[in-house]
Parts: sequence; C-alpha cells; structure tokens
Amino acid sequence: MAANSWPETLKVLNKDYPRLDGMAKATGKAKYPSDERPEGTLFGVILYSPHAHARIKTIDTGAAEKMPGVKAVEVIAGPGKLVRFHGDDIAVVAAETEEQARDAVAAIKVDYEILPHAATEAQAMAEGAAKVVPAGNVRKGRAQVDGKPDEGLAKADAVVEAQYAAPVVTHVCLESHGLIARWDDKDHITAWASTQAVTATASELAESNELPISNVTVLTEVMGGGFGSKFGADLWGTTAARLSKKVGGRPVKIFLDRTQEHLAGGNRPSAMAKIKIGATKDGKVTGMIAETFGTGGVARGSGFPLPYVYKFGNFSREHSDVFVNGGNSRAMRAPGHPQGCLIMEAALDDLAAKLGVDPLVVRKVNLGEDFRTPMYLEQIDIGAELIGWSKNFSPRGSEKGILRRGLGVALHQWGGGGAPDKQVSCTISQDGTIELKSATQDIGTGIRTVMAMIAAEVFGLTPLDIKSNIGNSTFPPGQSSGGSTTTPSMSPPCYNACLDARVEFFKKIAPALPGAPKPEDLSLADGKLLIKGEPAMSFKDAARKIGMNPISVVGKFSQGLSSNGVAGVQFADVTVDIETGAVKLNKIVAVQDSGLILDKLTWNSQVYGGVIGGLNYGLFEERVMDPISGRMLNADMELYQLAGASDIPEIVIHAYEPPAQKQRGVIGIGEPPTIGTAAAIGNAVSNAIGVRVPNWPMTPMNILNALAQAGKV
Amino acid sequence: MKAFEYVGATSVDQAVKALTAGAAPLSGGTDLINRMKDYVTSPERVVYLNDVKELAGISGDAASGVTILAGTRLADILASETVKAAYPALWQTTGEVATPQIRNMATLGGNLMQHPRCWYYRSGFGLVPKSGDGKNMLREGDNRYAAIFMTDGDALYAHPSSLAIPLIALGAKATLVGPEGERTVAVEDLYKVPTSNSDSPFTAKAGELLKSVTIPAASGKNASYEARHKQAHDWPLVLASVSLTFSGETVSDARVVVYGVAPVPWRSKAAEEAIKQKVITVESARAAGDAAAAGAKPLSMNGYKVSMLKTVVTRALCTAVGKKYWEA
Repeated sequence: MAANSWPETLKVLNKDYPRLDGMAKATGKAKYPSDERPEGTLFGVILYSPHAHARIKTIDTGAAEKMPGVKAVEVIAGPGKLVRFHGDDIAVVAAETEEQARDAVAAIKVDYEILPHAATEAQAMAEGAAKVVPAGNVRKGRAQVDGKPDEGLAKADAVVEAQYAAPVVTHVCLESHGLIARWDDKDHITAWASTQAVTATASELAESNELPISNVTVLTEVMGGGFGSKFGADLWGTTAARLSKKVGGRPVKIFLDRTQEHLAGGNRPSAMAKIKIGATKDGKVTGMIAETFGTGGVARGSGFPLPYVYKFGNFSREHSDVFVNGGNSRAMRAPGHPQGCLIMEAALDDLAAKLGVDPLVVRKVNLGEDFRTPMYLEQIDIGAELIGWSKNFSPRGSEKGILRRGLGVALHQWGGGGAPDKQVSCTISQDGTIELKSATQDIGTGIRTVMAMIAAEVFGLTPLDIKSNIGNSTFPPGQSSGGSTTTPSMSPPCYNACLDARVEFFKKIAPALPGAPKPEDLSLADGKLLIKGEPAMSFKDAARKIGMNPISVVGKFSQGLSSNGVAGVQFADVTVDIETGAVKLNKIVAVQDSGLILDKLTWNSQVYGGVIGGLNYGLFEERVMDPISGRMLNADMELYQLAGASDIPEIVIHAYEPPAQKQRGVIGIGEPPTIGTAAAIGNAVSNAIGVRVPNWPMTPMNILNALAQAGKV
Repeated sequence: MKAFEYVGATSVDQAVKALTAGAAPLSGGTDLINRMKDYVTSPERVVYLNDVKELAGISGDAASGVTILAGTRLADILASETVKAAYPALWQTTGEVATPQIRNMATLGGNLMQHPRCWYYRSGFGLVPKSGDGKNMLREGDNRYAAIFMTDGDALYAHPSSLAIPLIALGAKATLVGPEGERTVAVEDLYKVPTSNSDSPFTAKAGELLKSVTIPAASGKNASYEARHKQAHDWPLVLASVSLTFSGETVSDARVVVYGVAPVPWRSKAAEEAIKQKVITVESARAAGDAAAAGAKPLSMNGYKVSMLKTVVTRALCTAVGKKYWEA
C-alpha cells in the first residue's frame, strides 16, 4: 500500500546524519570511477583540435600506431571534416600506459586548413564575422511580450537604462568526464562511469554497440561532480567501448584531462542584457524592455528566464543565441537561473537606488500573486535579520573612505519535484540484512544515505544497519540526477518499498512467534520487534524466522510524499577596497526552503556547496577566449580562478521549514542555493562602491573599470 | 612530455658539468614540469638539483647581510627569523606566493628563474607571440594581465617572479656559477627583454646555474604591498617593494620596484625621486605613487593596472613607516 504522507513523528529522518560513505570519501578510501583500474586496463587519450576552426586536410596515424605500447588508434574526424572549436575531438589512441598514449597522440600528424573563427561574442556579432554556423552566428528568438511596455515605462517615476553581462563559466568537475569500458564476453559490457545517469549511460553504450540494454552494466559507486554536465556516455565513453571491443575486450579507460574538461566538458552560457526598466515612487515596476543574448558555444542555445521571480506586466524581451567557435554549453546547476537572477536583481537594485527606496521593499512589492510570495516575504525578513540589514545597510553612494562595506540581496526559485516512474527494491534476509537497490546514483546530494535513513525510520534501525545500493544500471529503474529531482523521485518509492516489506515481514514471521500474534500486533522500534507494544526480541532474531526465502518487494512512487517548487533568498555582506578593486566577502546568508528536509546534514552541505559555487560565479570564474587564436586561454586550474579556503567567508544557512513546508513532502535542494549568490554579491559590491559594476565576475579589473567609468578614481 | 635524459647531481660541480646546451635544471618542479607536460619546454636533459646539499640554506645576519642559496625552499625563507625581522619586504612577498604546499617545494632559484606565466607563452605561442598574419597577440588579444610599461616593444608580458621585486629593492646580488667559474650580478641584471621567440628572457649563459642571492646589510626600512584578485593561491596583479634609508624622518635614499607592469622587474626611478628628501606622509606617498605611473602606456584591457600601480607604491611606502591609511 502506497503512503501519501510521511510519519508525523520522525526518529531518524529530518535529523543530522553523516553520509554513509563520508569517511571513505574524506580519507581517500572511496574508489571513484576514475580510480578504477580493472585488470588489463588500456589508457585512451584523445587528440583534440588546437585550432578554433579548421578543416582537416590529412591525418597520418602511421607513426603513432608503431609506437611502443599502442594497441589501437582511431580517427574520429578524418580528412575533409571540420573542427569547430579548440578542444574538438579528432582521434584517439589506446595504449598500455597513459604516457604511451599521450606520446602517441603527440605523434599523430594532422595537416589543417585553418579557417577564420569567431571565438568571442563580440567577434561573432561583428559585421562580416566568420560564420560559425551556415545559418548565421546570431539566432534571434521569438519576442516575449506582455502588455504595453512603452506605456508602462511612460508611467514610471524613474527609469533605469543599463547593460549587464556575465561570462561563460565551466563546470570544473573535480573528477573529469569519462569511463572505463570492458567487453566481458562477446555480448556484454561493464563500464565504470563518472556519471549522473547510470541508466542513460547504459542505454547509450548499448545503442552504440548494438547490444540489448540488459547486457550493459554501468557502475557509479561514487562520482566526483557533474553539475549537469554528465548525463551520458558521451563520445569519449562510446569510443572507449568501441576500442575495448577492437582490442579483444580489454578494459579501455578514457577520462578527459583538466584542459579538455574546460574545453569540451560543458559550460554555462554567457548572458548579456540591455535593460530599460521603470517604476513608480513606491518601487512598483511599471514596465521593462529587455534585449538579451548569450553564447552556448558552437551549437547550443543560451536561454535564461527573464523577468525572473518578480511579476509585473508591460514587458517585452527578445533573446538571441550567439554561436561562437567555443566548446558547447551543457546543463549547469540550475540552468539559466543564475544568469536570469543576476540580471533581474541588478536591474531591480539599480532601480531601487535611483528611486531611493530600500532594496528589500522593491523586492516585496513586485512579487505578485504566487504560492511562493508568502514564503519570500518571510524569508526576506529572516535573512535581513541574519545579515543585520537594518543596522548595516546604507543607501548606495553613502559609503565613504577607502574600504567600503555594502549589502546586497537576491531572490531565486526552482522546481525540484520528483519523477513518478522510479522504483526501489527492499530485500530482508534471514540474517537481518536489509538491502535497498535502485539504479540511481549519488551526484553528491546524499541519496544513498537518505535511502538508508528512510529504511532505518521504517524498520526501527539506524542507517548503518541498512545496505543502500545504488550506482548500478541493472537495479530497478532509478532517477537520473538532474534538476534537483533525485531525492524527491527516489524517496517515495524507497519509503513505499520499506513499508510494503515491513508488512510482508510481519505476515511471514507472525505465525512463528510465541503466542502466534496477528501481524497487526507487531511493530519495530530501537532495533527490536515489539508484540502489542512490548519488546519481544531483537530485529535480528525476528529476521531469523523469515526462513530461507528472503522478502523482496519493489516500491513505487506515490503522490503526497514529494512536491515541487522552492523559493529562496540570499544576502551578501562585502567590503570593497576602492583603490585596488579587491572584494572581501564578510558573510553570505542563505535562507532556503525545500519542503521536508530528510537529512539535515547533507542538506546543509548542498547549501554550502551551492553558495560556494555561486560566489565563484560572482567573484572569480570566467572562460577567457582569445580573439586572435580562438583558443581558450585559461584552460587550467591556475588562471581559471576558483575560491580557495581563505576566499570563503562565513556562510550562514537558515533552513526555512515551518510545519506548512514539512507537509509538502520532499523537494530537491541541489540547485536552488547556487542561484542567488552571484547576484547578491554584485548588488553588495555596487552598494558598497556607489556605482554598478555591470560585468561579472567582480574582479579588481571590472571594479576599477566601473569606478573609472563613473569618474570615481 | 618529450622523453629526456635524467642526471641526478649531488654537487654544484656535477650540476654545472651536466648543464650542457639543451639541459634544464630541476629543483622544486613547480614550473619546469608543467612546461614540459604542456610541450612549452622540452629539454634534452634534466639535471636534478634537490640532492645538491651545498645549494640550500640561509646564512648571515641583518648586520652583515644574508645569503640565501638558490635551492632554499620558500617555506624555509618564511621560517627565517632574520628575514622576517630585517627584510619584511621579502618575507611578506614570500608568504604570498602560491600555497603552503607549493612553498614547501618551490625554491628561491626556481622563483627567480621561472618562465613567464603569460597565457600566450603557456599556450605555445612564445614570449613574443605573433599570429599567422603577423599581429602581436598580446597587443591585439587578451592583455588584461600584461605590461603597461615598455609597451612600445614586442615583449608585452608581465615578468613572473614576485621575489625578484623585494630582492631588487633591497639591492640584492645574484651569484651564478658556470663552466668558467662564478660571477656576481645585481638581481635585476638576471633579466632581459627578449626580442624574438628564440631569444631568452634571462642573461645567464648556457650552462650557468643560479647559486645564491646575497642581500646587503639591512638599513632603514623596507616593505611590500601586493594587489591581487584571490586571497588564496593567486599571482599578484601588481606588487611594489620599497627599501628606504632615512636621515631623521626624511627619506635620504629609496628604491622602488614594481611587479606586473613590465616584462622585467620595473624599477621606478620616478617614484624614488619623488619620495627622496621627503617625510613619508600619505600625501607624499601618493605623490610618489602618481610619479610611478608617469609614462605608463597600458594596452587595450589593462588600464586598470595604472591606478593599481599608484596604489601599491603608495601603500608600500606607507607600510614601511607603519601608516596603513587604508585600514583606518
């Protein structure tokens, strides 16, 4: 029987519980897919284009094939083929060692016809630009229009006209993209993949090798970050499988190196906007006209939501996708939302500053009618208290001196609901083992631990008593980890599986118990079986009475255990040195809801991680494309800037979880907490220095340029 | 990485003999190994110096001067009470290099003789990067981190050694050892501006090895100030070191050296002249900062470095006399 609500009293869930694999991960004992080295592994290395745009005239792999240790060489892009960005795949070598493979890749001779490129948005949009795609580099989208923007703006007491821009940033997964593929026999493949979708990876490997999907096993015990960029086998994975077959089944391991990871592993599109927005004296927006564009690389779009969060009529918006000779975008933690958020929040903040209205008031009056509005109103007040808004906020331009403090705020939203078609099996064996299985994987949000906590709650045990097995594509269908959907998709079938297994368990053991109680007289608590509320024996002893055949049930989704749609508010407190442009983050406050929180510790960890990702977007990250060579200039971990420990401030998390939120059931948390941070930081910097810094990230260069532009230095 | 011959040296003599043309010295490995992996540098032979015991150590004192052997780890320079007390300009800059892990491996010699971090150079386009149609890539391309002085020339990168800055300000001398024996030069004379991609940014002759750096006896006051993007693990954007002698409260002599503004460590004689015969106040320091910026010709994207240059010179001077006005 499927449940439609969680128990009112929770003993294990909604508490802090450490990850089951936390110690293994922290000590390095956990084996990530890229750590695996099944016997006989060959190392595959990809030759990729050093040019932004070129036609391959000839390719000679003769010398490479003869090099020591080389077992297979394959051309991916042969003569006549185009390579369209620095990092585009050309050929692959599999050899006994990684070094041999790299040496052989270096020995492949390619003769390129170098073609004109457009590697930056400005180049691609310029008159007479080299064509990245035959249809033209700028693809205009359909205009969104609501009401009469010009008339709305005419009613405004103040109008802001401004431009804002955020660059392309890359995912920087600490474990790069890749997998190891092995042909176990003539019609079975096993793959160890760093993926956020074991099922999709298995189906891709099956299809590309013309095998039934049941003959492919994809394993992802743990993985080192995906953020939306690891949803399948990719060309690199299908290539590894093809090469494995070619060399008689030996495992072939292809993981991208750091440079390739930046170049070809995906990125978040850039976003640029020309905005005209107006409001009446009370801060209510009367109209907005927005022209936006961005690049998702050589073939992908760059859309983002705008208007964002706030509801006002009389707006028009036109978005164009710009194609450049650069690596393609992929989904990246809350796709589109961080861009929409920083543009919307910057425009609203500039309007608040021009009107002389408190930025919090401007937010509150523009929320409109929405189920999130009452949540936002409370969250804004909670966050304001935690950042000390009434004490520490002063209007833009009122800070004097060299070190100037500023506060900023941003609101965001996300979905995070569950998919209704996933399953979890629960098996109880006579030795007392309880095993859960599903073909999902832990992208980092802690689903392995959460599933064990659910079982522990149902069986009156602790999570350590539960075997929570995921990361195997042959298990019952599990959720791919995207869109913050893993926990809301997996916890309902997990809960139902455990409930049903418990019913079966009681039915099976009742006749064997002293006094032959009815199954409904039985319950489980604190590791014990209770008969009519009285402790009778340990769970282990009770399990012995199952007999030889284990109990195994499959649980399905049911309505009421999970929901969809979160709000969230973040605040930043910064100090800016106006002579050096250096930003010091003093504090970030994140107020976040996500329905019922199952594991508070992994939940906090998601919010911390989201904020840290967001502050990297706000302060540090930028893919720098060279207009001259068309190459990415900072495809490393040195000049691609990311926060170190001393760049990370105090982060205060407030879990917004009143009873009404708990009743909504589980909602995903992976994405929302990364959305608002860069926007809040941008607003805090502008509040501190008295002028808008229109270009993210908030680097000394961008800040000093903004001050110089305003004649302030 | 291209295959190479490996020679492990245990004495300076052995190292010098092994450093024939096409050989590269290896110590901490924090620069050379990366260049080799990226095929930016492909030496025929690598001479390992970590087992050369006579290349590591710090000797002397504030009164007579201090000699730091080239193989000394940056972590050991940081641990030196003498350096900390007598040469705060060097001590502070050393502490701001990279990360503790890198400072545990990186050596003074490696820092001084590292190759430029210019992203065109590291992408394989050389120190004077030219595009196929003859454009100077740094001039026409992304030059946010490039030089703002000497920009009429062709080498437009910013010099990479942050430790050269305080050492030059302190008047340090470098001793090189080669097949023809030892010679001593001013630290600033280790460097030159290459005119082509086949030209070296160093003055050392083939086979010469940096052996030690000697800082003269401490006198007056010295300090550094660094502007950077990240707090953790980052390069300075612009850094100034100053060394000052006083007559009463008046500056009698000054050396002002700046990082991040030229393809060599940039000695600002203009700033030196501006502060000489002055008492250091925020105003006189600012005047020296402004003087330092005179003649700067930034490229298309790095105009921000001009105001940063003024600030770091001003703040290094104020730090030397304990007037941290910006913290007020």
